[in-house]
Amino acid sequence: MSAKPMLQRLRDAANEVDFNRFRFWFQLVAFVLFVYGGYLAIDLGSKLPFFSCGYNQEGRAGVCYLLPLQHQLGRNWAVLFSIASLSILTGFLGFALWFIVLNKGWCGFVCPLGTLQDWISALRRRLGIRFSNYTHGQFAQLTKIKFVLLALLILIPLGVGGGFFSHDMSPPFCLICPARMILPIFTGDLSQFTIDFSSKTAVVMTALGISVTALFLVGSFVKKRFFCFFCPMSALHYLISKPALLKLKKDGSKCTRCGDCYAVCDMEIKEIADDVTTTNIMTDDCTLCLKCVASCPETGALKATFAGIPIFVSTEAGFIKRMNKGCQHGK
Amino acid sequence: MKIPNRPAALLLLLMLCGPLGAEPTEAQKAEWRARREAAGGEAPSEAQRAEWRARREAREASANAEGAKPAASAHEGHGQAAPAAAKSKKAPASAASGMAHDHAGAANRPATGVAVDKAPGKPEDAARASGRPAGMGGMAMRGGGGAVWLSDSPPARGDGAARGGMGGMGGMAMGGERSGPPSKRLWLRAGNDPQKSGFAREDAEAESQTLLVRPQGVLEGEVLPPPADGKKNLAFEMPVQGYYRVYASSRKLQGETLNVSVAKAEIANFSHGGDEEERAKALVAPRILESAPIEIVREKAADEKTFFQLKSGDEQAFVVLQKGLPVQGARVRFVSHEGWSKEAVSDEQGRVSFQIIRDYFPAWDDFKKRFKASYLIIAEANAAEKGVFKDQPYSTVRYQATLAGNYYPSPDDYRSYAWGLGIGLLIVLFCGTAVYLYRRRRLKPFQEVRFDER
Repeated sequence: MSAKPMLQRLRDAANEVDFNRFRFWFQLVAFVLFVYGGYLAIDLGSKLPFFSCGYNQEGRAGVCYLLPLQHQLGRNWAVLFSIASLSILTGFLGFALWFIVLNKGWCGFVCPLGTLQDWISALRRRLGIRFSNYTHGQFAQLTKIKFVLLALLILIPLGVGGGFFSHDMSPPFCLICPARMILPIFTGDLSQFTIDFSSKTAVVMTALGISVTALFLVGSFVKKRFFCFFCPMSALHYLISKPALLKLKKDGSKCTRCGDCYAVCDMEIKEIADDVTTTNIMTDDCTLCLKCVASCPETGALKATFAGIPIFVSTEAGFIKRMNKGCQHGK
Repeated sequence: MKIPNRPAALLLLLMLCGPLGAEPTEAQKAEWRARREAAGGEAPSEAQRAEWRARREAREASANAEGAKPAASAHEGHGQAAPAAAKSKKAPASAASGMAHDHAGAANRPATGVAVDKAPGKPEDAARASGRPAGMGGMAMRGGGGAVWLSDSPPARGDGAARGGMGGMGGMAMGGERSGPPSKRLWLRAGNDPQKSGFAREDAEAESQTLLVRPQGVLEGEVLPPPADGKKNLAFEMPVQGYYRVYASSRKLQGETLNVSVAKAEIANFSHGGDEEERAKALVAPRILESAPIEIVREKAADEKTFFQLKSGDEQAFVVLQKGLPVQGARVRFVSHEGWSKEAVSDEQGRVSFQIIRDYFPAWDDFKKRFKASYLIIAEANAAEKGVFKDQPYSTVRYQATLAGNYYPSPDDYRSYAWGLGIGLLIVLFCGTAVYLYRRRRLKPFQEVRFDER
């Protein structure tokens, strides 16, 4: 038997990889990089397409784009509607360039808040507590929330800049984002766990922030990727995901609708199993975690491509290998 | 300082007049008498008058005695003031009239042969004796009384109001045309109290110069044109990110003493959307002017971020430099927004540190967490340096540097951990319990169905 070409062997190795382990280590490295990278003088700028929280002042290796975006939109209108706001466009361009590389894979593999949710889910699993699901009706309603939050994230700073809202509402999303409170804890900074009594607006916003954080902790414990469902960054990603290089593709002709992909999907995306006509199967809720590809037993039914090149394809051999190692279906 | 009552104020006024060395005119006496009577105060007794007279004579005698000491080694130490004076260019519009009333005393004090005169003869000695605030002892500076400093707000406007913008002298607001780069306006003010200081007045006898050092400009700075069109502010644009520094220096001869003052302002201009490489360069760029006869540099903490704000309760260090070299023994004074002050002496590194006090105590409904308070740093040092200024010889040089900045209320004043953690814990417990109970209710216990076979 002739030896397989090197490229084919590489492909086989990738397709048969112990995906859960690979993803765990990838996420861990990314978490350490973006939560502690600042101590190593790593600074990847302020246009990152995931929650590398700017409030983690000591350890951050870059800043989530939503923070500068809200600051820029909150400028006085005289400045906002001037040439000075060209920086908003250039900033967005920087964000888009980052995003275009991994698409929503930033959420599934890199986002520290997403990683935290996965770790909380792992803790629940170890404790033997079952997870929760939304009903289809709930899913259909809740999935819209992230777009509402994205709209508010843009409109409220504009209102602040126009003098309609208090400056204590700015930056509105960061004030209620759990990353603002949770990620600095990893560098020993508990300063965000406070209620600001300097004004009524500040009291409301900080209390809301703490409430959302508390809900995040409880929600993540019983529901996989609880917060990603409401994440406005995810909504923004989806709006500009067309030209992204990393894509999730489905060949409906090879799909048997076994439902394995749906069973492992943290986001409960039913289309991944039901839709056999769409090629580009990534939806607005998808985090591109690629667990669906890893759990698919049909060769070539699901695949992740980078710039059109398949980098991770579902194969029967890979499926069997992973099953033998104990794929955590439905947990 | 609060003056308790009007008679006391009159007494203070009389004491302030003491070092002038001249007897009040009859018109002045009549005016004081009238004011005293209007205030319901009593005329000072003969005993009080005698005591004041004795004090004044003692002061004058002390000053004369010091003035008679030989200035033997005046060239030791730095002794190089003349070249700097010669190099300076005249900026007539920013010249101002000074406090030319103290030359009989402190201004004539000779050097004692050390680089920085720490011996008797410190400028504030006379000031203390006269009851005036120290730090101003006879500097022939522009202004109507007090140190000359650069402020980001004019006197009438006052400080404290939270204004938009970022950066600046620890948070100074910035302006700018809509379509242009941000700009900055600074006012030259005179006085020891950040709130009460008025505009610095022009002094035709002083030689003045204002330099602007831009982040990517020449290290020596460029001459900033004086205010035009009747305006009183110095204005300049800040097209790139970084620290912009303005040095308003003045030289004036009083007796045999050359008074050299440098009022400095440092404005941080950074933006979130700005060029990151430009910002990184600006953060490591030098923040001193090696040609400055004296200057105060605010020491940046190692972990200080771009959008730094000084808060009440923070410890802030300053370094006093002359021609880029640290000055040991300089008397440095911190004056808070409400006029509280503290004095310290710089160490061998020229360093001095102050804790920013909390002096903002409004009614809670009026509390503003973005309340911008101003502080003022005044540094003074004497040096035995001989030279010639405007064809007049001098034997000592009195240096004065000022630096103003802003500070804000500490978050500890308005933030509560107890409430934050309490609310968080309550919601976690409530939601956790709710989820648990919800799940319990949805569990349907197995119920065996038995048919009744009878």
